[in-house]
Amino acid sequence: MTGEDLRPQILVRDVTKSFSGRVVVDVDELVLGDVPVEGLLGPNGAGKTTLMRLIMHSIPLDGGRVTLSRPGQRDVVLSATRTSQMAGLGVVKSTQVITDFEHLTILDSALLAVTEARYERPFAAAADRAVRKRHEDEIRHWLDYFGFDDPLAVALSGGDKKLLDIVRCLLLQPAVLLLDEPTAGLSEDHTERVKSAVRELAGKGTSVVIVEHDLDVIWDLCDEVIFMAEGKVLLKDNPATIRANPTVVESYLGAGSA
Amino acid sequence: MNLDWLDAFLIFGAFKVIEIMGLGLLVHLQLGLTRVANFGVVGFWGLGLYAFGVAYLKVDWPFGDVYQFLICAAIATIVAAAAGLVVGWLISDLDDDGTLVGTLGFATIVVILATTQQGLTGGALGLGGLGFPYDFGRVKTHEFTWLLITTAVVVLIFVYAWRVHRTPHGRLLIAVGANEALARSLGKSATAARLRMMMVTSGAMGLLGAMHGVMVRSLEINSLDVSVTLAALAALILGGTARVFGAVVGVLLTVALFDIVIQFYIPIPDGWNTQALPVAREAVFGAAIVLMLIFRPQGLLGQMRRPALMRRLHGDW
Ligand SMILES: Nc1ncnc2c1ncn2[C@@H]1O[C@H](COP(=O)(O)OP(=O)(O)OP(=O)(O)O)[C@@H](O)[C@H]1O
Ligand SMILES: [Mg+2]
Repeated sequence: MTGEDLRPQILVRDVTKSFSGRVVVDVDELVLGDVPVEGLLGPNGAGKTTLMRLIMHSIPLDGGRVTLSRPGQRDVVLSATRTSQMAGLGVVKSTQVITDFEHLTILDSALLAVTEARYERPFAAAADRAVRKRHEDEIRHWLDYFGFDDPLAVALSGGDKKLLDIVRCLLLQPAVLLLDEPTAGLSEDHTERVKSAVRELAGKGTSVVIVEHDLDVIWDLCDEVIFMAEGKVLLKDNPATIRANPTVVESYLGAGSA
Repeated sequence: MNLDWLDAFLIFGAFKVIEIMGLGLLVHLQLGLTRVANFGVVGFWGLGLYAFGVAYLKVDWPFGDVYQFLICAAIATIVAAAAGLVVGWLISDLDDDGTLVGTLGFATIVVILATTQQGLTGGALGLGGLGFPYDFGRVKTHEFTWLLITTAVVVLIFVYAWRVHRTPHGRLLIAVGANEALARSLGKSATAARLRMMMVTSGAMGLLGAMHGVMVRSLEINSLDVSVTLAALAALILGGTARVFGAVVGVLLTVALFDIVIQFYIPIPDGWNTQALPVAREAVFGAAIVLMLIFRPQGLLGQMRRPALMRRLHGDW
């Protein structure tokens, strides 16, 4: 990998979103993906999650446009694309709030993520084992990596569900991965594992954007940091500069933390 | 075939049990797996019944049975499947309450059409002239044979539902039912999954309607009342919506209990059979639904047991 331009990028232009009259996101122009890992920082309610959901088009935009460009492929207007088609384009997001499929086991979740649509039709002939066989290695790799010792059980703890959410995202082999507080509530060991997984993925060409309140994760991982407040992108710079910026220190990091 | 030992009413009782079991299994796929609350079961079944009857009686087919039956049954299935697609699409953005009202509304439309399109359906008077697609002796033999054929169809429906649990399709339906947004973010078209499921299950409901038409040999508007939906739902909720055997167990404890055991083996006063019993039956079914939803909403057989099933399928993981 040589130039930055070889990475998949997302261009956010003039995107706005209000909830009951209050502007929550108002981004003139933002390019995601010019470096391997970007951090998205901002106080609670800054609009970080909402911005990610707007990129995924899981909520409608009030205005503006989101475009995906991948090296060697045609640009896709994500804001005119259905959420269910994002994964197919390689745009994948984890969820901040712990979420799972009730009743489904851990292995179910993993298989669901990798199964191609043609096997999921009502009378499709392929048995479950055939699908499993095609993807067994990758599933095993990630489940072992995060220490799921009984994948045939349902994920019970919040931590397991959080990790499973990340596993599902990784199994989708994302070109652009949006992680919304992926390490919140995880043990130190699991946090480290998430971090190395992110590094590995970024090393292979995925553009990762990560929202995280655990600042050590951000300073450790990110090549660039975006600072958001009240729906607007205020700064975009390298971590050291952001860390030293008076606005950030005052409004977010608090006195003494820099 | 000597069937003197068999009471003709018993054949009809057993037919009803089998038929409701089939509908219950299909509702299991809709409600138990995909969480689509279809309160218009009778609409899809009735549409199949009437489409079959009208096609059979009003079209001058250039060939006789058994082809005429097969063609008309196929028409009934296709018409009901198309209705499932349309209704599924209309309710696709609605919440549970909207789904309930929408499906109920659909069933009402079917009744209104069956009543008002007198030229085709015979309206409130009904239409006779349907018959078995074969002829080899006494009526009772025909009826018994039809019971066996319908049983075979319901066994196929059971096998299908049983298999769905074991395929990627079933996993997708469970995922869409449990967390539609999450399924979407994994690249699944929740709407397409639900529509396909609605099409298949509604089509099968229509086929059961056609099979019913053959058995009763007429179109009667009264057969489209709420009791079909009620029986299928009561059975499934009692047995357990999320389990394949839920409909089977539930039907045995509801329809079989009333339409076979109580009717034939319990000494009840004359006249009750035709008057008090049907009313009591509806009341008990309704009460059973309410009580189950309050005290054991997962039904007698309980929750889906995905880990146990996955252990059977992927035990070597
Ligand atoms: N669906 C919604 N309806 C109404 N208001 C919403 C909705 N989603 C978000 N908001 C509001 O929009 C603002 C931004 O929320 P968002 O979740 O994007 O913030 P965030 O930066 O992710 O914060 P946090 O760090 O706490 O996760 C908040 O004030 C929130 O209350
Ligand atoms: Mg957030």
